[in-house]
Amino acid sequence: MGIAISNLSVRYGAETVISGLSLDIPEGCFFTLLGPSGCGKTTLLRTIAGFAPASGGQIRFGGRNVTELPPHKRAIGMVFQDYALFPDKTVAENVAYGLRARGEKGEGAARKVKAALDRVGLGHVLSRHPAALSGGQRQRVALARALVIKPQVLLMDEPLSNLDAKLRVQIRETIIELQREANITTVFVTHDQEEALSMSDLIGVMNRGKVEQLGTPHEIYATPRTGYVADFVGAANRTEVPVRAAASGRVEVDVAGSRLLATDSLNGPAERGLLVLRPEDLKISATVVSGLQSLPAVVRGRQYLGSRTSYSVECAGGLVLNAEMHGAGHDAFQPGASVHLGFDPAAARVIRS
Amino acid sequence: MNASALRSPWPWLSALALGLLGVFVLYPLLYVFTASFLGEGRSGWLQLVGDGHSLAAIGNTLVLACIVTLFSTLIGVPLAYVSARYRFRGKLLITLLPLITLVIPEVVTAQTWLMILGNNGVVTRFLKGYGILLPSFYGWFGLITSMSFIYYTYVYIGTVAAIGKFDAQLEEAAQSLGTAPLRSRLHVMLPVIRPAILASTLLVFTMVVGNFAISTILGHNVPLLSVAIYQAAVAEGATNLTMQSTLASTSVLIVMAVLFLNRRIIAKGRFEIVQGRGAKPQPLRGMHGVLVSASGGIVVAVSLLPLVTIAVGAFTASRGPVLRWGEWTLDNMARVFITAPGPLVNSILYAGVATLISVMFSTLVSYLVVKKSNLVTPFIDYVSAIPLALSGTVLGVGLLASFNDGFLALTGTSTIIVLAYVIRRMPFGMRNGQAILHNIPNSIEEASISLGSPPLRTFLRVVLPMMLPAVASAAILTWTTTVSELSASLLVYSGGRETLPIQIFRLIDSGLMAYASAYGLVLVAVILVPVVIATTMFKVDLFASK
Ligand SMILES: Nc1ncnc2c1ncn2[C@@H]1O[C@H](COP(=O)(O)OP(=O)(O)OP(=O)(O)O)[C@@H](O)[C@H]1O
Ligand SMILES: [Mg+2]
Repeated sequence: MGIAISNLSVRYGAETVISGLSLDIPEGCFFTLLGPSGCGKTTLLRTIAGFAPASGGQIRFGGRNVTELPPHKRAIGMVFQDYALFPDKTVAENVAYGLRARGEKGEGAARKVKAALDRVGLGHVLSRHPAALSGGQRQRVALARALVIKPQVLLMDEPLSNLDAKLRVQIRETIIELQREANITTVFVTHDQEEALSMSDLIGVMNRGKVEQLGTPHEIYATPRTGYVADFVGAANRTEVPVRAAASGRVEVDVAGSRLLATDSLNGPAERGLLVLRPEDLKISATVVSGLQSLPAVVRGRQYLGSRTSYSVECAGGLVLNAEMHGAGHDAFQPGASVHLGFDPAAARVIRS
Repeated sequence: MNASALRSPWPWLSALALGLLGVFVLYPLLYVFTASFLGEGRSGWLQLVGDGHSLAAIGNTLVLACIVTLFSTLIGVPLAYVSARYRFRGKLLITLLPLITLVIPEVVTAQTWLMILGNNGVVTRFLKGYGILLPSFYGWFGLITSMSFIYYTYVYIGTVAAIGKFDAQLEEAAQSLGTAPLRSRLHVMLPVIRPAILASTLLVFTMVVGNFAISTILGHNVPLLSVAIYQAAVAEGATNLTMQSTLASTSVLIVMAVLFLNRRIIAKGRFEIVQGRGAKPQPLRGMHGVLVSASGGIVVAVSLLPLVTIAVGAFTASRGPVLRWGEWTLDNMARVFITAPGPLVNSILYAGVATLISVMFSTLVSYLVVKKSNLVTPFIDYVSAIPLALSGTVLGVGLLASFNDGFLALTGTSTIIVLAYVIRRMPFGMRNGQAILHNIPNSIEEASISLGSPPLRTFLRVVLPMMLPAVASAAILTWTTTVSELSASLLVYSGGRETLPIQIFRLIDSGLMAYASAYGLVLVAVILVPVVIATTMFKVDLFASK
């Protein structure tokens, strides 16, 4: 069941947290809301769940208007950041809770509970209380509890943020598997871009109560439409440049005294634009590399990171860029060295500033 | 608030709660306030200024409150310090003190002092036999002694809690910088725990101002405020509400002023108390140890005196007011259980019903205030705290005046006694309920609702079970305090509806100490039995909300 949000506004008192937001999440889609703290991700999720009332606009689940429907009638499954397991109930009782609310009891319900817990690898802790579980186990119980009721949509608010890095990756996989299996439309909130990029079918990057860009992980990363998205998802060098139109989707820009080619993502004519360059697309070399356009530069700083080295280099006119080198000899350049900074026009995008 | 909010039960329940509080708390209070201004001919306040006896009562009450507060602090703070920081013989007894005051009703304490030092007291008569005449225990001497030995526990409890939170490292740091231990303590620790001490001393102050049982039993020729209110209210033909209302308003204003001060101190103290590891208690040996154990022991002995005395008195024969010590009998107990069991039955009934109502009401209302706040819940919060500023006597006067006739005539019913109990203990239940609810994250409820459980069912199935330990402890504590309630019920009760404390009070008034002891002993049992059952059989933690 897809989710269609149109022109949604949410207010807390006088403060408008979400205004005029529209969004379409297709059925079975794993949709991630990505954005910085305070941008309104939780608010949007809670409005979809029905806990935060909308002050304007509409929310539809598969064509049905649910805007005025109280949360307990929305047939949602929800997973909370703090798990929100009922501490006085056993694991099995926790998972059975939603079934009981639907009038399912006895043998059949017990079988479903067992199956749901088996599915997350916790069939052996049925009669334990949540206090006697590890963080990762609690999270999986919460997942089983939300999924056993076969909800129309699954809503998760930073479900992995209380787990350590290794466990996070593990549970990420469990979530994806379960979501695919049930083919359930999912809204997942996170501020961790790696999580968003690795898990999602679609990502909505939020900024100040608005969805700034909606797209597949690849689109969001490779073709950010705004400087904000470029910077929030992955790192990016951004600099404002004068722009002149050139042939076939390319523009000419002036950077650090050189005239170079870049990909046109301006969506229309403009005099100036924002040049976006990912650090990993910049190649440092001692001599000019053929086939790449290049800028002369001087290495100013260097951070050795094991699998790669992050450099900061200064081009003419004082423009400082970050570049990341991988592969053999990635830490070969010393601060003070004169180098060439090469990049492909396809990797340099100019967007509206 | 929009249409969907009105479809949930909470706004309606909030409105209902506010309505009930308005009728049973706000209305009596306003009734008393207005009556004080609308005297027959002259405003009560003008009458007050010209009334020497009432002015003396107010003055005496303030003086008494100051003195008792001072003595309570002088006993409570050192005791707290040594028991928080040192180990010594008999320390366990001192840590049990809070429970002792909890179970001994004030009316019993007052009675005990009379049995020992009163006109017919054991010690008095014993010394008289040798021609030594003690000063009368009635009056200042008795008031100050008996109140100080009850109220120091509040200072003690407050101070122990504060010292427990105080980071011993601060003190050690001061010492490492070359300050001598005692000086470092004074300089570093005192400022940090001072807000907590001050807050508990102010609490003692308000309790003395509101005290009725001891004031009236031991006060005699020292006019005191709550006694004056009581007398004005029960005086022959007390149809004129003006004087009692004015005195009651005075009491409310004094207590409110102190509570206001208290709030400010607590608000400041919250930032001053350093969270840290408490110091490990040091063993005390030698001279110091003996000294500390001995003085602690004396305090404990004096606190325990009432229990021992009534236990003996309950089985001692008597002729009129004179107890024949050493002559044992079961007559007194027979009277409590067989001849006149009314007070026992009434107490259990009224306190039981009141505890039930009080716990249900305060649980629901604290839930509304903490979790379902809307436009009216802040008012519910304020109004439900008002009884903190009402002494039992003031509450009794208010209820009696407001519900004597008119739209809700309750005078002469059992309902008004239960009502008085419920209102007096409501702020306590509210605070307890709110404390526990603040510890239950909202996500727990939302999880339940998201699983398809409607709001009311969520409250019953998820929130209530989580509140249960705290609710149980609140119920026990409410029971213990309502069973021993005297001052409000004494004003609103009617013939045949005597409770145990009322009966004891009347017996003391008639000088029948043996009977009073028997009722007192049963009262203590009625208080203690549920506490013991709950803590041992059901493992209720009495201080679960802390
Ligand atoms: N109950 C509330 N009352 C008033 N303002 C609120 C309330 N809840 C959230 N806000 C405000 O709404 C804005 C969005 O909050 P929200 O919780 O949706 O952010 P978020 O994107 O989830 O942030 P985070 O990543 O830190 O969880 C914030 O500015 C916040 O202060
Ligand atoms: Mg959030």
